[in-house]
Amino acid sequence: MTTDSRPIPIRIANQRAYIWDVDDIAVLRSQHRLCGILAGTLPHLSQQNVFLGVPLLLMPEEVVLLVEKKFAVLVNDPNAHQAPTAPQLQKWEEERDEFAKRHIVVNDTKISQNAATRSMSEDAMRKRKERMERKAAQPQQPPPVDMIPEESPAERTEATPTTDSRPSTPSSNAITVAYPVIIESASSTLEWYDTSAATYNTIEAAQAAGIWSYPSNLSERARCGVFRGLWEQGYFLGGGIKFGGDYLVYPGDPLRFHSHFVATVIESPVATLRPMEIVAHGRLGTATKKSHLLCGWNDEKKDVSYLSIEWAGFG
Amino acid sequence: MQTHYSDISSLSTKYPRTTGSLFLVYNDIVYSQLWTDVQVLDLEPCTRAAIRGCRRLNANNTHTQIANIVPCTLSELVSLEWLDNAFVSLDDPPEVYLAITSDDSSIVYYKISRGIVKPPL
Repeated sequence: MTTDSRPIPIRIANQRAYIWDVDDIAVLRSQHRLCGILAGTLPHLSQQNVFLGVPLLLMPEEVVLLVEKKFAVLVNDPNAHQAPTAPQLQKWEEERDEFAKRHIVVNDTKISQNAATRSMSEDAMRKRKERMERKAAQPQQPPPVDMIPEESPAERTEATPTTDSRPSTPSSNAITVAYPVIIESASSTLEWYDTSAATYNTIEAAQAAGIWSYPSNLSERARCGVFRGLWEQGYFLGGGIKFGGDYLVYPGDPLRFHSHFVATVIESPVATLRPMEIVAHGRLGTATKKSHLLCGWNDEKKDVSYLSIEWAGFG
Repeated sequence: MQTHYSDISSLSTKYPRTTGSLFLVYNDIVYSQLWTDVQVLDLEPCTRAAIRGCRRLNANNTHTQIANIVPCTLSELVSLEWLDNAFVSLDDPPEVYLAITSDDSSIVYYKISRGIVKPPL
């Protein structure tokens, strides 16, 4: 695992924050005590939610904490994709073409080998080899008319004068055999992907750019303040919906520990608190061996005060 | 009987709005929970009286613990500041018991501690 202090890129899409790199997820969890929620399903089984993977979806409070502590930066991913220049695009097409050709050769070799082990005659093998050679030679033929790329051949030769000894195009349109097209899940290998102009080091800068809004009001400031306050005391925090609170507070990694507390955020010292809430939270906490934390945010002093509730044990 | 209620009578007159819950809780603590050395304190910032006594921790009273009770009714609205004031007026004990009464005279007690206090094992 990497231990360098490079800020982790948090990709923002539609005001939500995602981490796409598993190494970054590991750093977040082991070094920064932040877990997030894995939100990726399997493409063919998108309804199942037992095995989830990348991306990791972060709570807005986690994002604000990470950026304020300089552990992470916000990246507006769509803006990081610049328009590719002609040589970049051409290089990309060549690589793709190369891959396709290589795959066809490898695939045919495999088929013939498999066939050979299934006691094929020498004759059949020779025929297969011939077919393979024919296929490898096929790109020499001119491409079918309907598959000529939009770009005109004149432009192409202008951009790459070295290719004139080869067939007029480096694109894959001459290949008629089926071959897989790999679509990379990450853009980081693309030459025209550049995050430098789409990266924000502070929440304020991201808010000014309009890609991120949290925290925008007292309630959200209170949540961020309380989250940070508990995190700074060394706790791990998770979503609290399972126990009727705002956060679950764990003494260590949630995979190793049960939570000790359910926390609710109270926006101000004078915010109304009904005794029924104290009964409901206190009683649930006692039944689940957790204390309930009332976390009061003081927006003027920017500090948090805590009260713990549990059933008295009599009456 | 009359002597007991002399404890709460003066503060009942001072805070008539909270006399109902004070009376209920006082009776419960003295006669049902059997706390000893029960006194009634003026809790001015919360406009009510509080109760302090020795809580029984075992049946024959060999183990007791001084504890504070703040009575309130289920229909009141309180706040963190209100609870903080109660702690301050009671000389900052580590915990207070909030006695919540409903209008059918049932009472429930919840322990409220300052800070992040782990649940008992």
